Amino acid sequence: MVDPLESSDDDPVQRRRFLLEDTGFDEVPARYRRFYRKWRGAGDQLAPNEAICPVCKVVIRSSRELWPGDRLYCMPCMSRLVVVEATDGRLEAHVSY
Amino acid sequence: MGAAAGREIHDLEHERFLEEVHSFEFWFQSVEGYLAGTTYGHRTETADESPTGAVERQRLITVLSNYCIGEMAALEGASGLIAIAPNQLTKIFLSTQVADEGRHLEVLLHRMRELGVKHPAQEADRRASRSLKQFRAELLKLVQGRDWEAAIFAQNVILESLEFAVFRAHAEGADAITKEVLEGIIKDERRHIGFGENELGRRLHGAPHIRTRLTRVREELDHLVLSMLEDSSREIGVPPDQQGELARSYLQSVERLGFT
Repeated sequence: MVDPLESSDDDPVQRRRFLLEDTGFDEVPARYRRFYRKWRGAGDQLAPNEAICPVCKVVIRSSRELWPGDRLYCMPCMSRLVVVEATDGRLEAHVSY
Repeated sequence: MGAAAGREIHDLEHERFLEEVHSFEFWFQSVEGYLAGTTYGHRTETADESPTGAVERQRLITVLSNYCIGEMAALEGASGLIAIAPNQLTKIFLSTQVADEGRHLEVLLHRMRELGVKHPAQEADRRASRSLKQFRAELLKLVQGRDWEAAIFAQNVILESLEFAVFRAHAEGADAITKEVLEGIIKDERRHIGFGENELGRRLHGAPHIRTRLTRVREELDHLVLSMLEDSSREIGVPPDQQGELARSYLQSVERLGFT
């Protein structure tokens, strides 16, 4: 069986890549922690590779810049999300049941 | 999963993701991250800044009493739901929720004991609001009636979302020990609310007729939820102008499922 995470990356070259580091998020097993961080409240800002989970309010991180249509998983609340462009142009994550 | 974890988690197949996050192993390694080194939900070195005034102390004990009865309802509900869960993944997940709810009840009763309550279980039962007790009875009726969707809706969407919103609001202004206890519970609650919303979302997508039944359940429970929200807001000291925000935070998950 082919591991889905081993599949080749077919993203266009212009999509920015990000090196994810552990931010101290402790709500998932250690090997997944770099994909999540806490929202730090007023003054905090989302990076181009981050979105807030609408269900549990944790910040989800990807090693790629997020584009509309991308899929994200929120492990802390077990949700599957899809990145969509809001009317004001910002990207946000919506739950996809 | 170990070898895959070094790469992008968001590329996983959905089925594989669900298998991972519903597993006992995932739960065990998650709670180990934030509970290791704590005793009854907080670090032993955390400064005790419990309220010293009689009125504030009594108010906190009443708040904790309501939390205990809410957690007792969730413990009884989650354990009863295992028997009617539709598949192995949900049965295993619910077994982790039972462990979480049992822990919540224990740490909250212990916190009451730390505040000087000699018989916390009896005191919690005596002080808890009537609407919360009635909600507990209604939830257990749904579980005993083996109505999976309605019971999950009442417990993991309505009750857990309400607790999630109230605990987060309370933790912001709580004394250091109570705050740590609540923050640990909130981390568990993320899994519970997410499980409920996603499980129901998938079921509603596959069988839209369920919505009619759940709308009726919601209507029957609405007055109790409203009353519990008002009681909680008052007890934890949410200013009147911010009470709407607390209600909105609770209502978001219900609305995402299409119940307006």
